[in-house]
Amino acid sequence: MSFKLNALLRSPWVFHLSTGSCNNCDIEVLDCLTPRFDIERFGMLLAPSIKHADVLLITGSCNRKSAERLKRLYEQAPKPCLVVAIGECSMSRGMFVHSYNCPQPLDKIIPVDVYIPGCPPKPEAIIAGVVKLIEKVKAQAAEKK
Amino acid sequence: MREEILKDITGRFKDDIVDVFDKSPSRVYIEIRKEALVKIATYALRQIKARFNIASGVDCRHHFEILYHFTVEDINLLISFRVKLPVDKLEIDSLAPVFEGANWIEREMSELLGIDFKGHPDKRRLLLSDEWPEGVYPLRCDYEEWDKKAIRDRGI
Repeated sequence: MSFKLNALLRSPWVFHLSTGSCNNCDIEVLDCLTPRFDIERFGMLLAPSIKHADVLLITGSCNRKSAERLKRLYEQAPKPCLVVAIGECSMSRGMFVHSYNCPQPLDKIIPVDVYIPGCPPKPEAIIAGVVKLIEKVKAQAAEKK
Repeated sequence: MREEILKDITGRFKDDIVDVFDKSPSRVYIEIRKEALVKIATYALRQIKARFNIASGVDCRHHFEILYHFTVEDINLLISFRVKLPVDKLEIDSLAPVFEGANWIEREMSELLGIDFKGHPDKRRLLLSDEWPEGVYPLRCDYEEWDKKAIRDRGI
């Protein structure tokens, strides 16, 4: 495994973006950082800026205005950037699938690596999803060798 | 106190009030003529010392309605002034020059329902994106999808 990838997987810094969610998924994401679930034992930290981040956590159904901001944010992220979609809204738009303001699901706008379903997903599910993501990237790196 | 305020409004503006619906001890709906809106709202704000909560616009198919909700906080009373607009003439005087709190909600109603607020100081868009076409109002009953590229299935 390359040095860069090794460093990324040991301590993935996470940037959290809400593209118009109801804030319930965001509460669960913040819950992961509390001592009870303590996602920092996997080396994960919330990054203050997308330019420091390795993982982009996205909640909410992208609406017409936030889709533009999301694309701009993804372009600014240092590559490789892993994208995690959290919650039903960011996967299939949930109840907003026929909304006039949500024309596209998230994975038609930017590539998504992991989907974590639930409305909202439990913190355990988010941790399991992110650990699976790390294992997936490790396996891909091993395959390339 | 509550009866005094209601009697004061209904007595002072009896030519402009169409209907009074006393729903509950804390809720009164007063339907007014749309020409008298600015006069009554200013009176409620300045003399009764009510607070402007919010306004809500409704498309009722046969007419449009705007409800201006005012709260008299020390007696816990919510007065909603209801204005009915005919479908073919969707315009009303703006309250934004009288008090700043009406500014954004009127911008929102004008872009989502297509109601024209005459005398509004700033008629730019508030919520919709720039690509949204002119003259399409998403919260109307007869709204139809205009975006041919929109995906409306769950990808299964």
